[in-house]
Amino acid sequence: MATAVIMPRQGQSVESCIIGKWHKKKGDKVSEGDTLFTYETDKATFDEAAKVSGEILEVFFEEGDDVPVLVNVCVIGEPGEDISGLRPEGSSAEQAGGPGQEAELIAPDKKEDYPEAQTAAGQNLYVSNMPEGDASNAPMSPRAKALAAKRNADLRFAEPSGPKGRIIERDVQKIVSEGHLATFAAGMGHPAGVAGSGIGGRVSVADIGRQPATSVDVSIPESYEEKHSNIRKIIAKSMHESLSTMAQLTLNASFDATDILDLRAKMKKAKENGMAERLGLSSSLTVPTINDIILYSVSRVLKTHRLCNAHYYPDKLVFFNTVNLGMAVDTPRGLMVPTIFAADKLSIAEISVQAKTLAADCQKGTISPDFIKNGTFTVTNLGSLGVESFTPVINPPQTCILGVNTITTAVKNVAGNAVPYQSMSLSLTFDHRALDGAPAARFLKDLKETLENFSLLLMQ
Amino acid sequence: MTKALHIDPSEVRKPGFIEFTPIPVNQYNKTIDDEKQNYSKDDFLRIYRDMRYIREFETMLYTIKTTNAYNGIEYNNPGPAHLSMGQEASSVGQAYLLDTNDYIFGSHRSHGEILAKGLSAIHKLSEEELDTIMKEFLDGSTYKSILKFNEGKGKSIKELAVDFLIYGALAEIFAKETGFHKGLGGSMHAFFLPFGIYPNNAIVGGSADISVGAALYKKINRKPGSVICNIGDGSMACGPVWEGLMLSAMDQFNTLWEGDMKGGLPLIVNVMNNQYAMGGQTRGETMGYDFLARIGAGVNKDQMHSERIDGYDPLAVIDAMKRKLDILKSKKGPVLLDTITYRYSGHSPSDADAYRTPEEKAAWEAQDSIASYRLALISAGVASEDDFNAIDETVISGITDAVQLASDPVISPRMDLGKTPDAIEKIMFSNRKISKMEDREPEVLMSKEDNPRVQAIARKERYAYDENGKPYSKNKTYQLRDGLFEAILDKFYEDPTLVAYGEENRDWGGAFAVYRGLTEALPYHRLFNSPIAEAAIVGSAVGYAMSGGRALVELMYCDFLGRAGDEVFNQLPKWQAMSAGILKMPVVIRVSVGSKYGAQHSQDWTSLVAHIPGIKVAFPVTPYDAKGLMTTALNGSDPVIFFESQRIYDIGEQFHKEGVPAESYEIPFGEPDVKREGKDITILTIGATLYRALEAADKLEKDHGISAEVIDARSMVPFNFEKVIESVKKTGKIIVSGDACERGSYLNDLARNIGDLCFDHLDAPAVVLGSRNWITPAYELEEHFFPQADWFIDVIHQRIMPIKGYTPVRSFTDVEMIRRGKLGV
Repeated sequence: MATAVIMPRQGQSVESCIIGKWHKKKGDKVSEGDTLFTYETDKATFDEAAKVSGEILEVFFEEGDDVPVLVNVCVIGEPGEDISGLRPEGSSAEQAGGPGQEAELIAPDKKEDYPEAQTAAGQNLYVSNMPEGDASNAPMSPRAKALAAKRNADLRFAEPSGPKGRIIERDVQKIVSEGHLATFAAGMGHPAGVAGSGIGGRVSVADIGRQPATSVDVSIPESYEEKHSNIRKIIAKSMHESLSTMAQLTLNASFDATDILDLRAKMKKAKENGMAERLGLSSSLTVPTINDIILYSVSRVLKTHRLCNAHYYPDKLVFFNTVNLGMAVDTPRGLMVPTIFAADKLSIAEISVQAKTLAADCQKGTISPDFIKNGTFTVTNLGSLGVESFTPVINPPQTCILGVNTITTAVKNVAGNAVPYQSMSLSLTFDHRALDGAPAARFLKDLKETLENFSLLLMQ
Repeated sequence: MTKALHIDPSEVRKPGFIEFTPIPVNQYNKTIDDEKQNYSKDDFLRIYRDMRYIREFETMLYTIKTTNAYNGIEYNNPGPAHLSMGQEASSVGQAYLLDTNDYIFGSHRSHGEILAKGLSAIHKLSEEELDTIMKEFLDGSTYKSILKFNEGKGKSIKELAVDFLIYGALAEIFAKETGFHKGLGGSMHAFFLPFGIYPNNAIVGGSADISVGAALYKKINRKPGSVICNIGDGSMACGPVWEGLMLSAMDQFNTLWEGDMKGGLPLIVNVMNNQYAMGGQTRGETMGYDFLARIGAGVNKDQMHSERIDGYDPLAVIDAMKRKLDILKSKKGPVLLDTITYRYSGHSPSDADAYRTPEEKAAWEAQDSIASYRLALISAGVASEDDFNAIDETVISGITDAVQLASDPVISPRMDLGKTPDAIEKIMFSNRKISKMEDREPEVLMSKEDNPRVQAIARKERYAYDENGKPYSKNKTYQLRDGLFEAILDKFYEDPTLVAYGEENRDWGGAFAVYRGLTEALPYHRLFNSPIAEAAIVGSAVGYAMSGGRALVELMYCDFLGRAGDEVFNQLPKWQAMSAGILKMPVVIRVSVGSKYGAQHSQDWTSLVAHIPGIKVAFPVTPYDAKGLMTTALNGSDPVIFFESQRIYDIGEQFHKEGVPAESYEIPFGEPDVKREGKDITILTIGATLYRALEAADKLEKDHGISAEVIDARSMVPFNFEKVIESVKKTGKIIVSGDACERGSYLNDLARNIGDLCFDHLDAPAVVLGSRNWITPAYELEEHFFPQADWFIDVIHQRIMPIKGYTPVRSFTDVEMIRRGKLGV
């Protein structure tokens, strides 16, 4: 009867062995004790001797094969015997387990049955709701304490989620994100508002006891420091350079915004009542903002005021045949000025979409550096913040920057009657090195007239 | 274990008798007249002078200890003084024939041996050599004190050298900076290498196995001279002494070591048999050997050439030494000498002699070695009373001068630890990189390229994963044991003094197959199996390194560390600093932390050694780290306990994507390594716990959205906290984990320091997650003992940051901590 020769198991941890050398081959006669093959574990080399005599009927693995232990390696028997039942599944069996896997331990019984599990789970450790009232006396981790002090978090809103009702970092982060910041007076009486006398200013128990109940809290610092972010450093440098090297002055002018406001009102209405669709305009049409309208107008008016669409260098001026319009965007990281390239070639709708996308990218901080350079003229808008007039600072080497102010109600004399109208003012700062007052004023005048007759511009 | 020696059952089972040859007892019986042909008058008188120096030196110390003064010089010596009045003839007789190539090692009672060996060396060295030695020693500061003090006295260099010896030894005893090693060793740890005086030792029998290492060094590196191990009769029951004897008498020196390496060790184990082990009488009370010399008969076929000699007669001792040194020269060592002597003083000055009678002391004093010798020389007409009186005068004035010098706080100041607070700190480690201890061709049997293991490793994958991130099979992966092997093999081919030994180191290839491939590469004398004698394995490595070599020894299981307790805790770590940095200790001890094998084979005792000042401790758990740290350890000059884990000898490199470099590289000790970056919690691990921490980090990320940073300590001493601080500043939370039983472990040390260093950044106390304070149970139960991945999540939930919706299995509550504390479990 055919006898299979298995790969022996040399030690508990051995999962497989490599066949080093075959001393016999298929068809060879072997006697009991003859060395069949050598095999290696990661620790040693062994010889496998035949335990029966006969002919090698089949060899399942070759030299160098990594054979799982206890798998049949070859068969010894009499010629003609059926060995099909002894063939291992695939002569290069899959390796089980990779390096780095510690042997798996025998699965324990259901862990829920462990007494320890019951004590451990029995505690309601995740305290998401504190008892009614003030949590500001709850124990608090040093890290949470430091964060609370730094962000002036109002700990009365803390919901301690640490072990044993401790306020931990995530609880303070939550307070801060929900906007519960301590006022000056509210800072009194809880640990974040106590002057520490311990090492490194740590608050000790004694410090808390020492606080006079009605005293003004002196522990809230009058000021605190924050290192400049990189973007702040860049803004500071370029703004200072701008003001210290240029001869900047600002012209202010206001225009009658009736036309653009009427137009926007009409567009909104048309979109709402389906008129826009009936006129064959895209359903996704967006109503341009006042800023979009100003950007659009500027891009057109600049075409005839080359000194305003230029770069100033000590020895020359560079004029541009296209308008790359910079638009100032306020972001959490600081001021950013993305560029709408070739704005003079874009429609009002295109400008509107681009302005919206660029502003969003700046807010997210995902704006590509390629989009925050090469502007030829900049528009900055503080109108939404109620500013009526200001002196914007030029983004060098540009020659001008236009500030957009808020809309106010003004009165004009129409046939002897005081007629109120919506007025909007513009503040143009220009570099007197590059151009004189009159050309700048002319640009402003043209822009004013364009905006007052904006619907005509759309007929272009 | 060797296939070269066949164990024949018919031979082994044959009946017969073991025959012993008679052991000589005090067989020396020559008279002074007989000896006149061997000694000149000067020789005879020098023997007397040397004995007198010792007697006076010890008497002086006794007087100072008991009266705070000697010859009118006041001094208080609070330190130890184990005196040897009565034992002078044994010391002087021993040293008489020895030269500076011969090393002596001593016990806590070795002032006499040190002085005798020093005086003998001074006699044999030329004035020029002496001048150089004194000028170079400690930049000549000790010599300068001597020269200044003796200005205008017209002393010869030899006379100055005697003063130098006595002053250096006394200043050392008085803990003065001008002492032989700046007063950092003191009475029980004094030595002076230029005269072949190796350390004496405060631990009873401490020198026994250390001396074997020194003898191994001489033999293996073909250095001239012999090694004399002086221990007391009280040490004969100490395990490490027996282990040292067994190691020194291994059959393989004759049966397996080849060529000129065949033959026994050049070692004399000389027992200064003063008949007392502190207060216990060794013969008749605390031992059963009757004659100590009998022990030699139990050690080897040569009976260690053992004999009892009369240590009260210097000439009898010289006679014995002459014969025994010849035996060593003919490579028939080791030798055991039972040198009978007696101490007049107590064990120490605080000893009230309650255990012996005044009559007994008087009887020995009546036969006092010095007085008898003097009388014999006078009777034989060798010298006159005047000759002896002149010597006595020189001796007393010399000792008085030494006391005056050594007690003077200006000439002989103590180390000023107020002004130089880092003086001891700087010598705790020598921190040198010495790639080879000696510059000669290392003895190897084949080229590295021909080595079968090297060839096998060449076929392996040096990074654990293929390009698709699939792990290679174990057998195809370059494993941690391969990393260790490569570092060790490289060093064997670089440092000719490097030896490796321990249990199963040859043939078997080490119990964990790290040394597989070394047997083929190295001759027996560079890689050999030792007896199962952990104390002697470590102790001899200490002696080997002290003598100038580099040793790599193995203790197999960490649990066996206790068997080498004194050697690991007292000898290995202390000698560099006690020697004021004169001695180097390039010893690497490989210790393998087990698992699966129960309570006495699965313990992580890293904390025990991390606690001891003066040892570097590493525990790498990746092939890249193992190779780099082993290379650093083997390049260094400091003792290293190098821990390995049996869980992961076969693990592949999972972190270093470029794979483990084939060339040699170092990873500095003390730098933990971030194995996985994260932002919410830090896990710092020691040892193979790393892999369970990484598993926990995976689960935390996947199931709970918590990002864990996992840092592998890699080494424990030294340890740079900076990387951990940086991580905790980021995460605010830390778990320190390892497989050591939690109580009293180094994990607590790390956690406490991190708590201090990061207090204001912590969102919860630093948490320690160790093994339970139990026995290690069977493999199948280990998941309840060693920290597991789930434990990390349980402990985070309960002690750091409760996780919404999580139900822990293990309890890490306050109540549980207090309960365990109360029970001591």
